[in-house]
Amino acid sequence: MEQHQALIDHLDKSLQGEGTPEMEQLISDDPEAAREWSYLLLAVDAIQEAGLQQQVAAVKEEWKLQQSAAARPSGGIVRQISRNMAKVAAILVVVGGGAVFYKYVTISSGSLYDRYYSSFELNTSRGAGDADAMEKAYHAKDWNAVLSSFSKTKRDNKTDFLAGMADLELKKYDDAIEHFEQVIAINTQAGSDYFLEEAQYYLAISWLAKDKVNEALPILEKIRANKDHLFHDKVAQMSFLDLRLVQYKESR
Amino acid sequence: MRVAEKYTDVELIGAVQEEKNLNGAILFIYQQYAASTSSFIIHYGGSEQDAEDVFQETVISFIDIVKKGKFRMEASVKTFLVSVARNIWFNELKKRERSGHREKLFEHGRDQEEEDISFQISDLEKKRQLRDLVHQLGEPCKKILMLFYYDDLSMKEIVEHLPYENEQVVRNKKYKCLQSLTGLIKNNPEIARQISELVK
Repeated sequence: MEQHQALIDHLDKSLQGEGTPEMEQLISDDPEAAREWSYLLLAVDAIQEAGLQQQVAAVKEEWKLQQSAAARPSGGIVRQISRNMAKVAAILVVVGGGAVFYKYVTISSGSLYDRYYSSFELNTSRGAGDADAMEKAYHAKDWNAVLSSFSKTKRDNKTDFLAGMADLELKKYDDAIEHFEQVIAINTQAGSDYFLEEAQYYLAISWLAKDKVNEALPILEKIRANKDHLFHDKVAQMSFLDLRLVQYKESR
Repeated sequence: MRVAEKYTDVELIGAVQEEKNLNGAILFIYQQYAASTSSFIIHYGGSEQDAEDVFQETVISFIDIVKKGKFRMEASVKTFLVSVARNIWFNELKKRERSGHREKLFEHGRDQEEEDISFQISDLEKKRQLRDLVHQLGEPCKKILMLFYYDDLSMKEIVEHLPYENEQVVRNKKYKCLQSLTGLIKNNPEIARQISELVK
């Protein structure tokens, strides 16, 4: 049992390039230790294979989501309507046309971003320990300091999310997207939800800021469909008609 | 969602080898090559689901081969992926014992390069068996082992991800999980015998 534990310790250290010569010697001299060692290596190989499979599967799902968003028809279904109905429709078009035209001209992903963006209030109690420099900078709304702390801090979902929010505040949308996607990827990989829902919502908002409603819409739809989602109520209040209008406009 | 970065073949290989934005590289592979590979699989009698499964296996094999430095850049990434997919599908067809005619049709199009690839991915079935063993573990074990051995997270970081009290609890749990996994491997001597070649 002790030898098994020692082999596992050696394995973990070896993976970080810190294995000990004594254990190497034991593995080389003792057939039983060598057998155990090969089983451990095999187990790590299995875990890494399974991990890669999960990662590829997660990206595949993202790709499929993109495919379905791209395949969504931008126009409506043409229905055969009666002549009278057509007249009524024509009148409505004339009356409402001006307003719609104005909305069509003025609306954009960016304008929706302006309408729906609100800062994220960090709850300090969620942190694992005392508020660190990054959290303090975030509370002080010192976005550059948040990013500076991020580069010095050990990376995890929370630091990535806060860095993403700082990038969003500084209008560095591509960087923000990178951070939010990182949080989502790590959670997908781990089957966890640490800052997952926050990252999903602000990823959609970042795409709106970049005038990419086609990227934002599927995420927002998923949030709206999930009543337990942290941002469900917020998304439910959004005008999906406007979002679709922007989608139509941007697809042209 | 994101728009995948554009990669040349050399950049793509580099990104996979260095695991630099691996998700972006995988997304690029899907966006660029999934459709053509899938149509090939469907042409040879596969369903859409078959095509999806085969392409996923193809991408996993490709990443594996590149990470191990076995991709020799003698063919383009596209040619290589299609060849790998063809081999995987061919083996799948054989497994399903489809009609000899279809296999002959398929065999007809195989060239020397694909024979080489066939050798490179010959341990695919063994890897699948290995993965299946991991999936036999309970969800908590799977998570903890993947976070440590695949995502390279420290014990401290794992404590933040999973509902464990402290690092020592995680360490004990990881030890037991690894023991369970090696137990599953040991209980399957055929897998252990076959795959031990991989770790030599």
